[in-house]
Amino acid sequence: MDLEYWELLTGEAIEEEEIVCRDIWVVAEVKDGALTPISLEMVGKARELAAALGAYVQSVLLGEGLESLAQELIHRGANGVYLADDPRLVEYHLETYAEILSGLFQAKKPEIILFGATELGQELAPRLAQRLGTGLISDCLDLSIDETERVLLATHPVYGGEYFHVSTFLGAKPQIATVRPGAFRLPFADEYGSGEMEKIAVNLEGIEGKVKVLSVSTGEAQPQVPLSKARVVVAGGRGLGDAEGFALVEELAEALGGQVAGSRGALDEGWIGQERQVGLSDVTVKPDLYIACGIWGDVHHYFAMQEAKFVVAINKNPEAPIFKVADIGIVSDPKEIIPLLLSELRAG
Amino acid sequence: MRAIVPIKQILDPTGFAVHRRLERIFINREDYIINPNDKNALEETLRLKDAHGVEVIALSLGEPRVDDALREALAMGADQAFLLTDEAFAEADAAAAALILAKAIEKIGDYDLILTGQRAMDTGASQIGPRLAEYLGLPQVLEVREVSGLSNGKLRAKRNWKGGYAEVEVGLPVLLSIAPQANEARYPHGARIMNAYREWEISTWGLADLGLAEEELSPLIGLRRKAFPPERTFGELITGAPGEAAKELAQLLREVGSWKLESGG
Ligand SMILES: Cc1cc2nc3c(=O)[nH]c(=O)nc-3n(C[C@H](O)[C@H](O)[C@H](O)COP(=O)(O)OP(=O)(O)OC[C@H]3O[C@@H](n4cnc5c(N)ncnc54)[C@H](O)[C@@H]3O)c2cc1C
Ligand SMILES: Nc1ncnc2c1ncn2[C@@H]1O[C@H](COP(=O)(O)O)[C@@H](O)[C@H]1O
Repeated sequence: MDLEYWELLTGEAIEEEEIVCRDIWVVAEVKDGALTPISLEMVGKARELAAALGAYVQSVLLGEGLESLAQELIHRGANGVYLADDPRLVEYHLETYAEILSGLFQAKKPEIILFGATELGQELAPRLAQRLGTGLISDCLDLSIDETERVLLATHPVYGGEYFHVSTFLGAKPQIATVRPGAFRLPFADEYGSGEMEKIAVNLEGIEGKVKVLSVSTGEAQPQVPLSKARVVVAGGRGLGDAEGFALVEELAEALGGQVAGSRGALDEGWIGQERQVGLSDVTVKPDLYIACGIWGDVHHYFAMQEAKFVVAINKNPEAPIFKVADIGIVSDPKEIIPLLLSELRAG
Repeated sequence: MRAIVPIKQILDPTGFAVHRRLERIFINREDYIINPNDKNALEETLRLKDAHGVEVIALSLGEPRVDDALREALAMGADQAFLLTDEAFAEADAAAAALILAKAIEKIGDYDLILTGQRAMDTGASQIGPRLAEYLGLPQVLEVREVSGLSNGKLRAKRNWKGGYAEVEVGLPVLLSIAPQANEARYPHGARIMNAYREWEISTWGLADLGLAEEELSPLIGLRRKAFPPERTFGELITGAPGEAAKELAQLLREVGSWKLESGG
């Protein structure tokens, strides 16, 4: 709500204390000139929460030349986007980002703020929560509103996902949460969706980054489609025996137009990088089809793929817990089965 | 140079089992361990002790039994330990825990480095480190894989960044959170284990020692309930010779799938 307008209407100035915290804010992230999927996923979820609260969805973008990205946020459901458009914000620095965001939040008084549970979110959200004297719930897998008390309820994993806590805020505002990438679906784009864009003044006098980045090196090749979005995932574990065995997983994934992933076992063997490890602390997947080859299927693995629609498990050990979660299981050596499966598939 | 390492004691997860259908947690064995990732933080600090003579101070907030965790830290090589315990600390959430730890760190004083774990396994929150840094007005470097240099009041570190790494430089004092992949933590030294219980005094600080008032620790976050992942139903096993099984599976994939099957390749 525009407070100046309110003052005009009612003829009374609003005291600081009386200002109600409203609106759900999404801190969007930009990577390689594009919005990250988690930014849009959060906007989608924020819309649902906003409907329950009778609030607006606001988003904030930091960087340079951001109008088209702001437009995309609006098409995906943001009612307003605030742009901190400044060359000094192209590179991330905790000190400058926190300065801009805390200033904005102190002025606009959000009821809820969402960050991605990403490197950036983990850097910023706890520092801002501390600065604003409020609570933060990290790494949320689900969010909803308790309408009787008008508070945010957040489901987050404990003990690496053995079970979950549903936690809530005990009064302090804003209520801040970081959201696990892939936890929510992407909202549809509505080209006719409209909203407002506003540039905010960037005053960084006396504020500078204290951590100097000397060099950046890219890790292993990133999956082309983010794993969390892939519709078909073929994952391999230690049961494939060696790198040659794991190559079969890659071949099967290619034949099915899917993505390659793996378990901790595969990571430890060096067959995959961390960005392909299916796990709550790495990548959560929810594909239409998940094929687990030579994967034991411990809870750590299971939690991260339990939302797959259809699960196929191939493992020579009938005791493997992966069979308990599979729709179809084959008790056999995956190194024998996959080549046969490939020729069946290719035979059409 | 002085480094402070806050370590957390947690319930050993191998001692309990989660029953999804009953939505209950069965504790078979109530053991407590140092949060595994905090041992990485301690190890990284002990390496700085070995290489640069940094003084290592371990700090833990919790119930009196946390004393054991601190003695283990001493046995691993820490020089001093402080136990923060008080009935008033029992309900501490992340904000309150950070405040208590920050007050203790200020009281210890004269520090150059604070090294925390990247996250505690029980909460999974990754909050305490950055909250401490904010309270103490320090820069932070999170998810550190390696402290690669320490000289002239500056520290160099390699941190996880965007699927790869970034090499960064920062002035002291600074707060680091150490990634689980940073190192293999050493085992406690035999002789030091014996000494840990006999020789070392662990100072214990409570609410009043830290100049805190109970109201300052009111929690901001509360637990409503626990939730459990759904139990999955048992599927079907395809038995029979590998050739038959593969044929059946291929057929099923065609029926079930709306995905695109590419031939050849
Ligand atoms: C705190 C914590 C967090 C974890 N997080 C994750 C996580 O996020 N994701 C994850 O995937 N795991 C995680 N794990 C590890 C997890 O518990 C399992 O150990 C891991 O998933 C097993 O990988 P795997 O199925 O490839 O290997 P294994 O369990 O070693 O083996 C898989 C199958 O292959 C067979 N096999 C084993 N070795 C061979 C061999 N050399 N040749 C032929 N067959 C073999 C086995 O009989 C088994 O059927 C975590 C563990 C801990 C303690
Ligand atoms: N009770 C505690 N006592 C000492 N250190 C703690 C405590 N809780 C958390 N920490 C430190 O903060 C880090 C992050 O914890 P968390 O924010 O809960 O994920 C841990 O790895 C510890 O280094």
